[in-house]
This record gives sequence, structure tokens and C-alpha cells, in this order.
Amino acid sequence: MHTVLTRGNAILAYSLSVLACLTFACFLSTVFLDYRTNAKLNSVKVLVKNVADYSASREKHDLGFITFDLHTDLTSLFNWNVKELFLYLTAEYQTENNELNQVVLWDKILLRGENAVLDFKNMNTKYYFWDDGNGLKGHKNVTLTLSWNIIPNAGLLPRIFAIGEHSFKFPDSYTVTPV
Amino acid sequence: MFNIQTHMDFQGQAKAEKLSRFIITLFGIVGFIWGAVIQQFFQTFIILCAGFSLATLVTVPPWPIYRRKPLNWQKPKPESGDDSKKKKK
Repeated sequence: MHTVLTRGNAILAYSLSVLACLTFACFLSTVFLDYRTNAKLNSVKVLVKNVADYSASREKHDLGFITFDLHTDLTSLFNWNVKELFLYLTAEYQTENNELNQVVLWDKILLRGENAVLDFKNMNTKYYFWDDGNGLKGHKNVTLTLSWNIIPNAGLLPRIFAIGEHSFKFPDSYTVTPV
Repeated sequence: MFNIQTHMDFQGQAKAEKLSRFIITLFGIVGFIWGAVIQQFFQTFIILCAGFSLATLVTVPPWPIYRRKPLNWQKPKPESGDDSKKKKK
């Protein structure tokens, strides 16, 4: 502390240590919060086609087309340690080949400060609903769930499942006309 | 004419260190509470930066209050007859 430079250095180093402590305290203040909330999902249009999957084996695979309704209020999830939410809609189902299939159909980035009351009607999916075989036609129990990834200032990146899911059936026959 | 002092004495250094730690810690705590109240961590950061600036202003320049207890050095003794020895070295 005997020269201007050493004092400046000591102050800067101490400030950064304090900032690290405060960041950790901020993390501690939010780590035990419950980030689950309700989401209402519904499927509107449900079709299944049998088309060649050129991105994989070129064989004919089942391709689902759905549109969905989503209503949820995520305002309560935001606090000083949440910068954004990454929402994603997953379809889960079981086939003969696989115990558990999970297909992400849609996602959305929701920044803090944006309107967090989501009310979508008849939304199209963003990604293809490919099955890796012919498991979708006539499937009786496909479950849609909404989940989110919390992107914090500091801390963990938890994956949270919304409370509330929706199950639907695929029709028993392929749609042949273009959608 | 100008007698600008640039040093701090030992107790001034101790005082400067304590004061800077106190200011930064205080601003950090206040900033944390304020940030928690309005749920903006950025405000916590800004308040900590204000504390850093204040501490820099108050304790980095060698202000006169850090120079109140100078060491009483012995007066240099007049050297007589030793000049020849020094020159040899």
C-alpha cells in the first residue's frame, strides 16, 4: 500500500473479490426456488404421413404433423438470476423399437422483460416430427410436454418440466394429400 | 516553493487500506440489498462500481490525512574525516 499503483491494485482486486462473493450470494438466493408452473397444452390438427426420409436412410418413415395450443404464464419464473428461458415442446412416446422416443417439436427463447404470458393458438411446429420407423400411425398415446431451460446470471442451468401435459392419438391411416 | 508530497506514512497506509475495504464492503452490501429488492443484479454491480470509484478517489491519492504521523528520522550526522574512506570504496 506504499504507492499509488499498489493501492489501486489492492482496491481493484478487493472489489472483484466482493463482486464474486455477491454473485455467489445471488446464486444462493435463487438456487432453492421452485421454477415449475402450469402449462396448458392441446393438440389441434393431427396427421401422419409416410414419406421417404432423405436425411437418414431414404426409407419411408412416419412423419407426424401436428398443430398445438399453448397457454401458460411464466411471469413468476423471472427473478434477478434469470436472464432468459429456453422453452421447448417435446413429444414422448413408446414404440416397439424404443422404450422412449423424445422428439423436440418447437422451441422459443423468452428474454427477461418480454411478455411472458404465452397464449398460442393452432401453432405449427418448428421441427419435423420424424419417427425412426413406422411407429406413429395409429399410435394411441403420444404425450406433449413443455419444458424450459433457465439461463441464469450465475449458477446452474436447470431443466424444468412444466406441470401439465397433453396426450393425443395419431390417426389410423396415412394422409396422402399434401398438407 | 512547491512541496508536493507523494508518500504515505505507515499508519496512513494502514488507514487507507482499512478505509478502502470498508467503503467497498459497505457499497457491496447496500448494492446487494438494493439489487435484491428491485430484482436487478446489474444495479448491485453498478453500486459496487460506485464504491470502487469512491474508494479509489479517497484512498489512492496520498492525501494529507495519510501523512500525519511521519517517522522521526535521525538527523544525518555530519561526516568528518570519513570522506577519505568513502572515496576508497
